[in-house]
Amino acid sequence: MSDQTVEEGNGRSSGWLQRIWNTTSVPVGAVLLAALIGAAILAISGANPLDAYAALIKGSFGDSAAFGRTLEKATPLVFSGLAVAFAFKAGLFNIGAQGQLLVGAIVAAYVGFSIEGLPAIIHAPLALIAGAAAGALYGAFPGALKTYTGANEVITTIMLNYVAINLTDFLADGPWKDLTPGNVVARTPKIMDSAAIPFIGDIPVGFLIAILMAVVTWWLLWKTTIGFEIRTVGLNPHGAQYAGIKVAFTVILTMTLSGLLAGMGGAIETQGIVGRFQPGFNANLGFDGITVALLGKTHPFGVIPAALLIGAMKAGSSQMQFSADVAKEITDVIMAFILFFVAADMIIRWILRSRAEGEKITLSSGWGS
Amino acid sequence: MLVKRSYLMIILLLVLGMALVACGGDAPAAEEPAAEEPAAEEPMAEEPAAEADGDCASEEVLCVGLVTDVGEIDDKSFNQSAWEGAKRAEAELGAKVDFIETKDAKDYAANIALFAENDYDVIVTVGFAMGEATAIAAGEYPDIDFIGVDQFQAWMFDDDTANDFTNLAGLIFPEDKSGFMAGALAGMLSETGTIAAVLGTDLVPPVVAFKEGYEAGAAYVNPDINFISTYHPGGMDVAFVDPEWGASTAKQAIDQGADVVFGAGGKTGNGALIEVASNEGVFCIGVDTDQWETVPEAHPCLVSSAMKLITPGVFDLIKASQDGAFPAGNFLGEVGLAPFHDLDSQVSDEIKAKLEEIDAGLRDGSIETGYNPGG
Repeated sequence: MSDQTVEEGNGRSSGWLQRIWNTTSVPVGAVLLAALIGAAILAISGANPLDAYAALIKGSFGDSAAFGRTLEKATPLVFSGLAVAFAFKAGLFNIGAQGQLLVGAIVAAYVGFSIEGLPAIIHAPLALIAGAAAGALYGAFPGALKTYTGANEVITTIMLNYVAINLTDFLADGPWKDLTPGNVVARTPKIMDSAAIPFIGDIPVGFLIAILMAVVTWWLLWKTTIGFEIRTVGLNPHGAQYAGIKVAFTVILTMTLSGLLAGMGGAIETQGIVGRFQPGFNANLGFDGITVALLGKTHPFGVIPAALLIGAMKAGSSQMQFSADVAKEITDVIMAFILFFVAADMIIRWILRSRAEGEKITLSSGWGS
Repeated sequence: MLVKRSYLMIILLLVLGMALVACGGDAPAAEEPAAEEPAAEEPMAEEPAAEADGDCASEEVLCVGLVTDVGEIDDKSFNQSAWEGAKRAEAELGAKVDFIETKDAKDYAANIALFAENDYDVIVTVGFAMGEATAIAAGEYPDIDFIGVDQFQAWMFDDDTANDFTNLAGLIFPEDKSGFMAGALAGMLSETGTIAAVLGTDLVPPVVAFKEGYEAGAAYVNPDINFISTYHPGGMDVAFVDPEWGASTAKQAIDQGADVVFGAGGKTGNGALIEVASNEGVFCIGVDTDQWETVPEAHPCLVSSAMKLITPGVFDLIKASQDGAFPAGNFLGEVGLAPFHDLDSQVSDEIKAKLEEIDAGLRDGSIETGYNPGG
């Protein structure tokens, strides 16, 4: 089947195929290589790699409930992946997706549990918008810091993650704590049913929203003036400035929208999966977004399959433990190797290109290419 | 630039081509959509091979599944103690046992369901945090007995009979009694008349019970004793994993004259124990398990530990399930002091006799710890 595709490609649309090939070969290669290394580690540790991977697939795609679980796990990763990818396009490395996601998650929870008597058609979107807005604000802040003080967004977003973790812990254990008798855990009350984002069968509606947001992000980046400006700033901020683009405004806007995407992911996690905010339940969702964005070549449509892949590994890891007696850490190892190979490729390319073109490119802009 | 990039592609392809026998063919054949699955090279025929354990469905085979809280099965603490109880069921009752380590707190239900769907007879869930998921699963799978370690069953005490279970037992412990014994020991060992406790957060009732029992026990043997009891000021996420705070708090207490330190709070408490070990003439007391086994750095000072005997509790409940006499509701596990190990010579026979007397008193109810969580 693939042979035929290749022949067709050679015949007519080789440019188009070449492009697809260029963008997909490295992530696919990275995944396959990582899976191979994972298999080797499994074999060394005494497990049968075929059994283990079969169990992984069974746990993530085996039946409709398993597939639903994969979608559940993938949904927040699509959002955090989009957030990171979007910022990359403007040459910004948003490591703060985790913090923005947490803030979005807890604000959505607050709107979800504190307001009573609204119909679902208003309450659920309201909580979602509130979470997204909180994430946007939390993203705008490092954007403004970068613009007005020159503070590197990598540093500020990392630091703001800690602020977000402690702020949300405080809220979940203080003013917004669940005071149900018998509860000692730090968590917010359960959101109202009217604020919940439902499932259609096993498919979380949140995932459909995630797909929609990927399309919106793509449209914004490639079909609008503002998207053109964002990408231009990413390619060369000085050139963009010279061409009359307001770089300062663009940087803040990009970080705001990036935070909005992450915050929305947090809100959907609260409203669709957890049903409340509880510290520790959103661990790593934002950080995994970096893996997802890189694996998806920082393209909105690349983020979706990348998130599905990582989501599937998360969904299937329990089944793998159960059926193949594999330590739960193996999926983390495979994910780390995927990230390693994808990032290593980009670093190599960046070095090659810098040498070839003799020009100075910042690392983060290079990664966005 | 484009040329060099395609060189890279070719190199990558060559590596892949060599590695992936399954893919075969020449290099361009590897062209695939980005939505590649992790293990697409797997032959699908392998799938059923992993599922050879259909025997859990049969009446004769007792299958016990254990789901850990977020953490490791060999954590030298809760998870491990509970797992040892299951292992004992394997050895003594011929049970088939297996465990799943929870990776993500959102997966509690899914991990429990994995055992339930595979017809396990008994499912053990470890830790307070899993209580809700365990209760929901107990409702969903009425034919399976559930054991929740450290999960207080509040439905026992409400008037609503609709939510009563016959297949769910919470294994809980009278931590105040365990703390009382530790406090009595500390009170008798102390020469300065000041003893300390370095504690996890007061957000967790068992920690409060340990502390209240500890102070009551010390006051029981020495009414004039001074306490320096300090709770970690942080939230749930840091209170049990902050050994630096534990160490500095223990140091502070020693500087203020304390010569026995009770460390109760996971790694935070362990930090206190290790700090005390470097101070001559100061004793330390561990918590939950016999910490002689788990914190070897504390050997110079560790005189005992205020234990919750999780392993026998889990085993007893598994056995009760096998015998068809599963005690739904709250099941009170045993507590007690760990052996004195190397410091045995420093505990006088007089102290040992007194401790035995107190232990008997706590058991028959003639001594009360005064800890009342309701009030």
